Amino acid sequence: MFFLKGNKETFDLLGNAATIGTHLVASTFVGLGIGWYLDKWLGTEPWLLIVFLCFGIAAGFKNVFDEVQRIQKKDQGKGPGTNENKSED
Amino acid sequence: MAGGLPHPLLIMTELNHALGTHIPNHVWYTWFGMSVLFVLGFIVSRRLSLVPGGVQNLAEIIIGGLEDFVVSNVGEGGRKVFPFMCTLFVYILVLNLMGLVPGFDAPTANVNTNAAMAVCTFLYYNYIGIKLHGAGYIKHFMGPIPALAPLMFIIELVSHISRPLSLTLRLFGNIRGEEIVLVLLFMLAPLVSTLPMYFLFMLAKVIQAFIFFMLTMIYLKGSLEEAH
Repeated sequence: MFFLKGNKETFDLLGNAATIGTHLVASTFVGLGIGWYLDKWLGTEPWLLIVFLCFGIAAGFKNVFDEVQRIQKKDQGKGPGTNENKSED
Repeated sequence: MAGGLPHPLLIMTELNHALGTHIPNHVWYTWFGMSVLFVLGFIVSRRLSLVPGGVQNLAEIIIGGLEDFVVSNVGEGGRKVFPFMCTLFVYILVLNLMGLVPGFDAPTANVNTNAAMAVCTFLYYNYIGIKLHGAGYIKHFMGPIPALAPLMFIIELVSHISRPLSLTLRLFGNIRGEEIVLVLLFMLAPLVSTLPMYFLFMLAKVIQAFIFFMLTMIYLKGSLEEAH
């Protein structure tokens, strides 16, 4: 594509920013769903739902954490000069 | 159909009427997008020349650019899985942009199309992981601390299952939203208001296809590399 050539990094960052929100929400709902169906299957309402909802929220935050770590790693890899300049200022 | 709103014109509905079939619209449009890609691929591969020109030039720019991007991010191992990702990107791009052609609807505005692609991605990266690491693939789910492994296993499982869900919903929401906006604007002020939106949505649709491609790349990278 004509604009893929110059600003790959912009696109990359745009993608990262767009993924964080949905990751958080989707994990929560998957946890909720797993808990709901396990409860229905085992007849232990409402405990597994609560436990798996917590797992889902934890997984969502872990996703966000991983994503941020990845962005940070990429930022640092870009060049040591930018970091040094910042600390000098 | 864009959110139950009356679409001005859909060619495939007319085609269904004419043929007396009951195949859903988004399936028709998916088939159409596939045939466009087949024909393009056929044309490009028939007349390969050392000095690329026309369609071959375009194809080389897209595929070559994407391959460079993948190799710089994933490493040399990325070349092996690149065909899958590139196919996904081109396919989604064509299906997305189809929503901008009058008389056509984007098949990606239907949640089923996206779910199929997301599930394919999910199965593929797990397959690659198991093929490459064997039983050691489970280490990817365990996290760095042995004492916390059972807890991390459940959390990782949930986060892995959430990946196809978030892939599906992001693409679906964006494309469906754009279709609804286009139909609404067309109802309010035909052509005057929709034409400027075309430029915005052309960019947005390319970005969505690229995001799907990039996430697939990140997941494949995760299953290709050693467990941390």
